[in-house]
Amino acid sequence: MEKNEISKSKLVVPGEAVGTVAAQSIGEPSTQMILRSFHTAGIASVVTTKGLPRIIEIVDARKKPKFPTMQVYPEKKIADKYEKVREIWRKLEDVKVSNLISNFEEDFKSGSMMLNLDKEKLAFHEVTGRKIASELSKKEGITVDQDGDRIKVKVKKKENIKSMRTTFVHVLATSIIGIPGINKAMMLQGEDGTFHITTSGSNIEKVMEIEGVDKWHIYANDPFEVARNYGIEAARNVLANEINDTIKQEGLTVSFKHLALLADAMTYTGEIRSAGRHGIAGDKDSVFARAAYEETVKHFINAGLFGEKDMLKGVAENILIGKQIGLGTGKVKLAVRKTDMGKLKGSK
Amino acid sequence: MAEEKRGTVYLEGKLIGYVKSGKALAEEIRKNRRAGILSGEINVLYIKRLNEVHINADRGRARKPYIIVEGGKSRLTPELIERLKTKEVDFNYLIRHGVIEYLDADEEENAYAALNENEITNKTTHLEIDPASMLGLTMNISVFPEYNSIGRHPVTSNFLKQSQGLYSVNFNRRYDPRSFILYYPQMPIVNSLAYRALNMKMHPTGQNLIVATSTYYGYNMKDAIILNKAAVDRGLGRSVFYRSYTDEERRYPGSQQDHFRIPSPTTDGYLGEHAYAKLSEDGIVEGEMDLKEADVIVGKVSPPRFLEEQTGFGVGEEKNRDNSVTVRGGEEGVVDSVMLSETTGATRIAKIRTRSIKIPEVGDKFASRHGQKGVIALIVDQNDMPFTKDGIVPDLLLNPHSLPSRMTFGHMLETLGAKAGSLKATQFDGTPFGTHGKDCVDKYGKILEEYGFDKFGNETMYDGRTGRKFDAQVFTGVIYYQRLWHMVSLKLQVRSRGPVQILTRQPTEGRPRRGGLKFGEMERDALVGHGASLLLKERMLDQSDKAEIWVCNDCGDVGYYDYIKNTPVCQTCGGKSLEMVEISYAFKLLLDEVKSLHILPRIKMKSE
Repeated sequence: MEKNEISKSKLVVPGEAVGTVAAQSIGEPSTQMILRSFHTAGIASVVTTKGLPRIIEIVDARKKPKFPTMQVYPEKKIADKYEKVREIWRKLEDVKVSNLISNFEEDFKSGSMMLNLDKEKLAFHEVTGRKIASELSKKEGITVDQDGDRIKVKVKKKENIKSMRTTFVHVLATSIIGIPGINKAMMLQGEDGTFHITTSGSNIEKVMEIEGVDKWHIYANDPFEVARNYGIEAARNVLANEINDTIKQEGLTVSFKHLALLADAMTYTGEIRSAGRHGIAGDKDSVFARAAYEETVKHFINAGLFGEKDMLKGVAENILIGKQIGLGTGKVKLAVRKTDMGKLKGSK
Repeated sequence: MAEEKRGTVYLEGKLIGYVKSGKALAEEIRKNRRAGILSGEINVLYIKRLNEVHINADRGRARKPYIIVEGGKSRLTPELIERLKTKEVDFNYLIRHGVIEYLDADEEENAYAALNENEITNKTTHLEIDPASMLGLTMNISVFPEYNSIGRHPVTSNFLKQSQGLYSVNFNRRYDPRSFILYYPQMPIVNSLAYRALNMKMHPTGQNLIVATSTYYGYNMKDAIILNKAAVDRGLGRSVFYRSYTDEERRYPGSQQDHFRIPSPTTDGYLGEHAYAKLSEDGIVEGEMDLKEADVIVGKVSPPRFLEEQTGFGVGEEKNRDNSVTVRGGEEGVVDSVMLSETTGATRIAKIRTRSIKIPEVGDKFASRHGQKGVIALIVDQNDMPFTKDGIVPDLLLNPHSLPSRMTFGHMLETLGAKAGSLKATQFDGTPFGTHGKDCVDKYGKILEEYGFDKFGNETMYDGRTGRKFDAQVFTGVIYYQRLWHMVSLKLQVRSRGPVQILTRQPTEGRPRRGGLKFGEMERDALVGHGASLLLKERMLDQSDKAEIWVCNDCGDVGYYDYIKNTPVCQTCGGKSLEMVEISYAFKLLLDEVKSLHILPRIKMKSE
């Protein structure tokens, strides 16, 4: 957050249209943002959605981000110890059978497949052939035979080729070590010499269980996941931070308070609502305000069926009927006591 | 597989068969075309990658002539050029004898064309007739485009098309919907080959102005220009604007038809006696009549839009409605010509042309032939204009800041060239790719020095207001300027009160309807954001579609005021207790629409 912000020296005046101002303050810079999301090639970085598509993703409250990521911090006492952090890292990345073999041969006549393990890959992930065999043998319907660098998998009941093929594909997708959902993990060193891990793919629940991970310092860019594990207020911070980071990436600035307001509006009910038809705008009390936004006829018909009342409290409905809105100068009214009326007339 | 190697042949996009070698077929077609055995209109494309031959002979293909090059030699030999000069042979001869051929977009893919003869290599198949032929008509008419930034070329072409001049010599006999004729058009001092070849001097588009590249007390900031009032009075940029109106006596089913005549006062939509005052007996305006906005030009009565009920025994005059043509909103002029004729449908048709003089005024648009446009910001008296040491007062002041960022060197070169040309009383050539920049500057500089001017076109200048000499010298010269047809007098719009739409009672939109400017959603949000609730209400209600309706206290539906019984009435419940409410008329419409959904919206009121 910005320091010495002038706007912090005073409280917002009652009747200030904070929502409209926030919407304008976010809306104006986003017109300058790129519509296209770039995909940078390379292995050294974790892919994320950028620019306007990312903001739309957050504001629409999509159940799963296109590119979920996590920041995992180790406990303070081991944060600067490379080996200890590497231990955590090893437990994170989801390594499948297919990541550990050089090639495989299928034999549909005998209903078996041969996995040829890759020694280099095994060494990199610090996995042994025995480990793979024991993980595979947990699966039902197959027998596993390990012979050095070769593992033979045989289907117990030979049916048709299609079901055999499905079984083999499942075998290849079997997780050996790591946490499901985390495709890649990278160790990074901060400026203070401590290590942390960035992942592509997220699974806070499982990562919390790993020993040595600081459970209170796991960050994920998926607000729903954060809400499940840390509560709605944490999710609110994720929403605001993610928009802030996305805007900053584009080299634009929006005061954080507008983003915080948006995040608050999306989360104050206790669950994450989108800022559209199915969320904030669709939950408005006023029939007219909802009808003015989208799906006009639907809202009127439902209002007719259920005998809804519109108390004409909001901005949209008052503009529609032509009344002074209850914001800004329309918020306040001049009141004079009846007994004082005489004085007013007398002074004339 | 041999089958895969055979070439596929397409004729006008349709597969017609296979050949052993597609390349050989294409070459043979070309050979025969050049020999005159096949029509010169046939084009052929060979795609090596797909081994396909596409033969095209259909109409509508844009084609461009090229000189054929064979074995590294142009077929247009010096001997042929000599014969062309003596007019012994012509262009068609060259086509017939396989010297020049036309290529379409497809065949160009197989061609490797050189721009100049000295660029021909062994791979070259064709030679451009002229390097400028890569440009279109408008760019060929302009001068020195190769010295300008590439982004200025489309701008240049567009401005040429918007220029006023002498678009047609028989403009006096034409009834174009709108046209502009420049009073004193000139041909440019610097012009191009295409300009002369097309005899474009018969259709000039502007005038040669004396332009000083100078600021003037901040009045020509951005793209504004300053004009010399004396020059305007002498006829600079003065033009006449013709507007034609057309009307026809249409026939309708049931042997009904329109009639040109002065409508009788009983006609529906009668505009009042004075409106028809300028019409002659036949219902059409007299020539040379002064016209003001909304004056009737052609009086016309039409049969009613809907068939009416039969009243009585068919007696009584048939109802008619006024369907006259009036002068367009915001325009005026003089009747220039009236034409009465008959259409192919044997109905009478009237065409009326009005004229009005458009003298350059503040807000009118001008442009040079280099994409340098500007709007007049000030017309200055001659005595207040800067002048040179020789006493020359420029016609136009161009802000020097418009040059560096746009990189229109052609503009400066033309200024210099036309200045030299006007001194020597000659014309200079500025054909695209036909000149060498430094040679031009040297040539023009030499002439300028001959006549006692600075060779780079700079002039010592004095401020017309104070008489003081400017510290810097000012680049001054002559350049061809065009007056474009974007003029304030045709665009100016203002509204304080005015007509409203019938349906919504909101103000109309657009200049011809004396409309207002839209106060849209974003503007509305701006006022909401400021909390200016009363200003917002004024815009959205008081200055728009404010309506007073009566709402029933009992049932909450909309009623009306019965002026005969002098009491408000609720038609829904028959109640007499109603309250007058001020609402937006659009909201009343919304209530009506909701009612059409079989939903009754009730308004419950509370006094404050």
